[in-house]
Amino acid sequence: MSRLFFREAIARAIAEEMARDERVILMGQDIGAHGGSYAETRGLFERFGAARVRDTPVAEAVTVGLAAGAAAGGLRPMAFITYVDFLMLGLDPLVNYAAKLRFKSAGQLTAPMVVKATAGAKGQGPTHAQSLDPWLMNVPGLTVLAPSTAGDAYGLLKTAMRAPGPVVYIDHKRLFPLGGMVPNAEELIPVGKAAVRREGRDITIVAHSYMSVVTLEAAKLLADAGIEAEVIDLRSLWPIDWDTLADSVRRTGHALFVEEGQEVCGVGAELAFGLQERVSGLRVARLGARRTPVSASPVLEAYAIPDAQRIVQSARQLLARAPAQQSQVLK
Amino acid sequence: MLSRGEEAIAVGICTVLERTDPLLCSGRSIGVALARGVPAGGLLAELIGKDGGPNRGRAGRAHISMPSVGLFGAHGVVGGNLSVAAGIALAQQQRGTGAVTCCIFGDGACGAGSLHETLNVAALWRLPLLLICDNNGFAVSTPVGKGVAPVRLTDLAVPFGVPGESVDGTDVDAVVAAVATAVAAIREGQGPRFLEMRCVRLGSHSTLTKEERPAAEVEAFGEADPLQIYERRLRADGVLDDAGWAAMQADVNAEIADAEQFVAAALWPDAEAAVLDV
Repeated sequence: MSRLFFREAIARAIAEEMARDERVILMGQDIGAHGGSYAETRGLFERFGAARVRDTPVAEAVTVGLAAGAAAGGLRPMAFITYVDFLMLGLDPLVNYAAKLRFKSAGQLTAPMVVKATAGAKGQGPTHAQSLDPWLMNVPGLTVLAPSTAGDAYGLLKTAMRAPGPVVYIDHKRLFPLGGMVPNAEELIPVGKAAVRREGRDITIVAHSYMSVVTLEAAKLLADAGIEAEVIDLRSLWPIDWDTLADSVRRTGHALFVEEGQEVCGVGAELAFGLQERVSGLRVARLGARRTPVSASPVLEAYAIPDAQRIVQSARQLLARAPAQQSQVLK
Repeated sequence: MLSRGEEAIAVGICTVLERTDPLLCSGRSIGVALARGVPAGGLLAELIGKDGGPNRGRAGRAHISMPSVGLFGAHGVVGGNLSVAAGIALAQQQRGTGAVTCCIFGDGACGAGSLHETLNVAALWRLPLLLICDNNGFAVSTPVGKGVAPVRLTDLAVPFGVPGESVDGTDVDAVVAAVATAVAAIREGQGPRFLEMRCVRLGSHSTLTKEERPAAEVEAFGEADPLQIYERRLRADGVLDDAGWAAMQADVNAEIADAEQFVAAALWPDAEAAVLDV
């Protein structure tokens, strides 16, 4: 294992895939000699050249369309969307073409492509900071991945770049400067496998992307108060690892779903419903952004999105709501 | 969504393109599919959603594809195929296949951003892409002059340095000549080309859409029927006589009878096939 920054893990995964498969090409804004908006493509332009590492105009619709068409035409393209907010401009080729291509052509055409987009609040305001994960989970034909560690960024991106159909790979601005352990040997992480980041008997807290990091902080605070939280990092938003989630909540009986995006029709809403169909007697709660746009002001941004304190509070409220568990909590 | 009035465009394009040249089109796909070589029976099956269609009935008119004959597909979103076609052209360029990707779109797409974004990238990257605007004069009910500000649609390509030409799309010989010139230039590596094919939509937008054009105007459309125009020319040139015409009609009728038989015998898909290949 080596310790790499999250952005370095991405660059390594891409470099390995480009070296093993000449069909892989990259397209996006500032990914060439500039080295990527988050330095996550540094060195790739120099190593693989301008034909395979292509700077695009500021035009997400054509960028995603190019990727979809290039995929249908026999390449394995990866389109970079600097802020996931801008993926709205590219949703037509992604949703109306790529996600449906295998189905509508009865398997004769496919779109093995990756859209890599960066989500998350970090001071850039209403249209550079959103989390839109459930929009994408809603689309049949899309695989949606959202790692929170450098190791997962590496292993999941490699899997995405070999996947048979379109994958949206969503990372987070606050993850790029974080370090983590990445295996030295090539290692792929399958889609649809969540990771238990911390074991605990009292409550299961489910998160993804940067909220996994925040949730682990919250779990420490809860532990100080005598509450042992099991923290599950989804990693794959679609397909969902129902087995790992169900195993955990069967033991804890309580599930709190944390996400940085909106609660309405959110990741938590889907997971809570799906788990209640699978596990009886489960008590659930969700915590997401308040119903307001993300602000450029750090004070307003922080108020709008979950933090460790709010996660602790939500966990405590959920446990307090459950009479059978109340005595345990008070112990 | 029939292709009446637009047959010469589809036939002319498909006459020039090699089978290995990917062709994409708009949702007005029936004429294009036939011209490209999709069997009439399979096409009918696809149109009504039967398993015998090239896409097993899943795609219908708006999304029909048959890569084995070079039809990379129709797209029901106006302008939706343009950037996809550019991507397919990029794949051909990168793989060095020498193929020219061709995308047919309607005049309705000329007001859409996708055309402008596609022209821009195609020009910058010198993509082997032939963009053909099938200008039938109307986007459903909106005349092209009320939906697109430039009077000459070829002007749309000018700022990008993409050579454009306006062609009489009711004259199949003119279509063949213009497409052949453009394809040759693109194959030589000269980058994208833009062609406008002027024609008249002989019917209403679709069988479900009422005809809003005045009856007198519709009456005069016959003058622009590419089938009649070509028939007259072939007769004038002495290539076609009554016997030849009758033989062609018989061939067509036989093909239609076969297609009707095929589609009648074709099975409906198993309902569970609705969740396959997702």
